[in-house]
Amino acid sequence: MQKLDKKTLIGIRDQLASYAWEDAEIAELVDPKLGIITGFQELLEQLECLRKIDLGSTPPAGDIPAK
Amino acid sequence: MNPPLAFASISELSRRLRAGDVSATQLIDVYAERIERYADISKAFISLDLEAARRKADMVDNSPGYNPDNNTGNQLSLKGIPYACKDLFDVAGMVTTGGSRVLQDTIAKHDADTIQAMNQAGAICLGKNNLHEFAYGATGENALYGTAPNPYDHSRLAGGSSSGSAAALGFGLCAATLGTDTGGSVRAPAALCGLVGFKPTFGRISTAGVLPYSWTLDHVGTLTRSAADAAILFKALLPAARDVTNVDLQGQVIGIPREFFFARCDSEILDSIDAFMVFLRSAGAELKPISMPSMEHTRTVSLTVQMPEALSFHNRYLEQRGHLYSQDFRAGLALGQCLLAEQYIRAKRFIESYRREMDAIFADVDTILTPATPVIAPPIGAVEVSVDGHSEPAGNAITRYTSFFNMTGHPAITLPCGMHSAGLPISAQLIGKHYADEQLLALASRIEAAYDFTLPLPELN
Repeated sequence: MQKLDKKTLIGIRDQLASYAWEDAEIAELVDPKLGIITGFQELLEQLECLRKIDLGSTPPAGDIPAK
Repeated sequence: MNPPLAFASISELSRRLRAGDVSATQLIDVYAERIERYADISKAFISLDLEAARRKADMVDNSPGYNPDNNTGNQLSLKGIPYACKDLFDVAGMVTTGGSRVLQDTIAKHDADTIQAMNQAGAICLGKNNLHEFAYGATGENALYGTAPNPYDHSRLAGGSSSGSAAALGFGLCAATLGTDTGGSVRAPAALCGLVGFKPTFGRISTAGVLPYSWTLDHVGTLTRSAADAAILFKALLPAARDVTNVDLQGQVIGIPREFFFARCDSEILDSIDAFMVFLRSAGAELKPISMPSMEHTRTVSLTVQMPEALSFHNRYLEQRGHLYSQDFRAGLALGQCLLAEQYIRAKRFIESYRREMDAIFADVDTILTPATPVIAPPIGAVEVSVDGHSEPAGNAITRYTSFFNMTGHPAITLPCGMHSAGLPISAQLIGKHYADEQLLALASRIEAAYDFTLPLPELN
């Protein structure tokens, strides 16, 4: 997986249905300086690890099942 | 010796109200004076409605047949008890700010379901508590309304996101508070401030009328001075809850998950939990080592659910009021925009697998015990905290042991179990089976009655 760059996120903003985030906010996702909850690159790397784990046929969680 | 009135438990206040030792109006006056006295320090409240509180107190004092709204089986268990709620809860006629500039003009037309239940139980709302903007963060820092400090050390955090709810109790400004808990936002600040924090089984207490942060992880919870008070509040919020009072520690099987929940933890916190376990064993409980699901990716899973859900709600305000959000929350929402649908669904599937693994664990144990937090309250402004040479963001550390149970939906309670040499509270966390909220509260009440957890009151002056 290649490192995320600002151009990709600007493409998401401009070409997919998205709120018009400012360039500075897009830059923050690529190179966090504000103390955002987590760096996006770091999150993507962890998501890539999750993607490789086989969950079989486990469905998405719904509400807590009834008693 | 009884604590001062402002620090008395709900049951003690109810007893004194019934005996006529104090009137509901006098109680409001006690808290109102303290709210004003500590306003600059505590930063606990965003808004107050003391006039409405006094009107209601007058009705409690002067109308023997006082029975607010209607009778839904609620036994006026909180008659005349002053409380406050996090400023995410709608209280009719008051602004619900969410701790943000974005919603400073939105006056609620109706009470949240939980506020309605508190009214029906006879409780009196004093006002709305400060919080981390829209509950986005565990440090409770708020640039607009100030950061609520820890009552035991004003240079340290109360914790969040229900920071003002913890500070309001810690400074003796009301008898109980309502908060919300998406990753530990009730339990963690309660733990850091020497209070009891409880979140029920997901879905058991209504979140209608409460500003959401992440619908599938949000829980309404309570902050109180004791587990017994938490049980009273739970019954008021859910009148259909079962009456469970007789829980014996003898024979309780308590799971101890050493691998993650006791790792990278302050040594004095571990010592206090060890002492707690010695007590539990001496009282007849069986402590059983358990292996929890792998925790390696749990924070990623939680975040991958939180941010798209938060964005989906806040999208309605972004176009018109986007510039009023704080920079860090906007950055978090932007992150939510860039996650893929498949990643969100995959995260939800991981949550389902966590629930299934927990169901298997709970087949062998009644309750699980962990420290509530791996650290004591961090200094205000601390970006990172360090334990055993390992640094992590302060907010992540505060909720490291709590957030998993928002995903699994199990009821959980934090209660004080010691004092750190730094003069700050240490707390334990007990987790129960789904829908065993009543048993968990009864167990915690039984423990606090049998084991001396009493902390010194904070020295506020």
